[in-house]
Amino acid sequence: MTLTKRRARWLMAKKGFLDMLPLNLAVLPWGILCGSLAIQRDFTVLEAILMPLIVFAGSVQLVSIELIANNASLATVLFTSFIISSRHFLYGLALRDKLKVLPTKWRYGVGFLLTDELFALSGHRKACVGQLRLIYAAVAGGSFYVFWLLWNVVGVIAGSYLPDLTHLGLDFAIAVTFIALVIPTIINLPILVTVLTAGLLSVLFKLMQFELDLVAAALMAMYCGYLTERFQQKRRDEKAKIDDISHKVKEKS
Amino acid sequence: MTLLTIFLMALITFTTRYLFIHPRLPVRLGAKMAKFLSFSAPAVLTAIWVPIIFVQQGQLSVSLHNPYLIAATFSVLAAAKSKSIYLTMLVGLITFVLSRYILTL
Repeated sequence: MTLTKRRARWLMAKKGFLDMLPLNLAVLPWGILCGSLAIQRDFTVLEAILMPLIVFAGSVQLVSIELIANNASLATVLFTSFIISSRHFLYGLALRDKLKVLPTKWRYGVGFLLTDELFALSGHRKACVGQLRLIYAAVAGGSFYVFWLLWNVVGVIAGSYLPDLTHLGLDFAIAVTFIALVIPTIINLPILVTVLTAGLLSVLFKLMQFELDLVAAALMAMYCGYLTERFQQKRRDEKAKIDDISHKVKEKS
Repeated sequence: MTLLTIFLMALITFTTRYLFIHPRLPVRLGAKMAKFLSFSAPAVLTAIWVPIIFVQQGQLSVSLHNPYLIAATFSVLAAAKSKSIYLTMLVGLITFVLSRYILTL
């Protein structure tokens, strides 16, 4: 059977949906928590639904709901949101060369959908390059948006009937999802170094209650991974040089 | 007031996601920078999940009484062995619920 253009697009859309599906399901408890917490902290239904609809960021929603309920100042809420969200700068930078060339509509669309989850599925060298891969990203990211909204709405509806879910350990669902995403990508020493450094420093910074804990740990870990790779490359180059010289010496003798 | 706050928050989350893919922004990435950035996914995702496991109420918790740690250990093993996202999530959730239940007995 020949692969027509239409069929190829359909297959890519399907793959995008299926690849994101486990993550869509994994954020169910987290989404319900965000929705119900907003209602329990006296947000109106409109406000509670605008959160996933336009803010669309789990940890920002959760933290800001508590801050707003505790009458924190506007500046505190916005600054905290900015700090939590600042890791996305890295995602934009990492995908910059692929996304900046997109037509405006697509760029805004993929930019809006660029969550941790979509970024985690964009590790491919050619992610978002060409129409088919763009369809993949749009369906993966778009389905995540729809499911996130859905789980939040379920939380909003069930909100007043549910007990306080904040101490039920729902954050483990996030942890196990990221374990499932990260561990299989550890295919070489530089990535292993990156992961170990990120884990160690993030715990350390969290205990020190350092506000930029996540981003600082990630940046330092990335640098360690980068240095490891440079070191390996240097050793490979030197080894090649030595092999080359000994080869020439043999030829002469 | 809350509505205004929500709109401003939306502006912030969108800006952090969109800013660096804006073509007019005068940023050029060299090969070294691109290599450095290729480590961003494992670095950021790990910096999100590891503290969830090890830090409970602001305290370091490395003990067999920490259900997060027990379940995370099984999840890491399952992920390394199977590379399957579904199986890892299943193993993680079952061991988490079980260890939480057993620890509260």
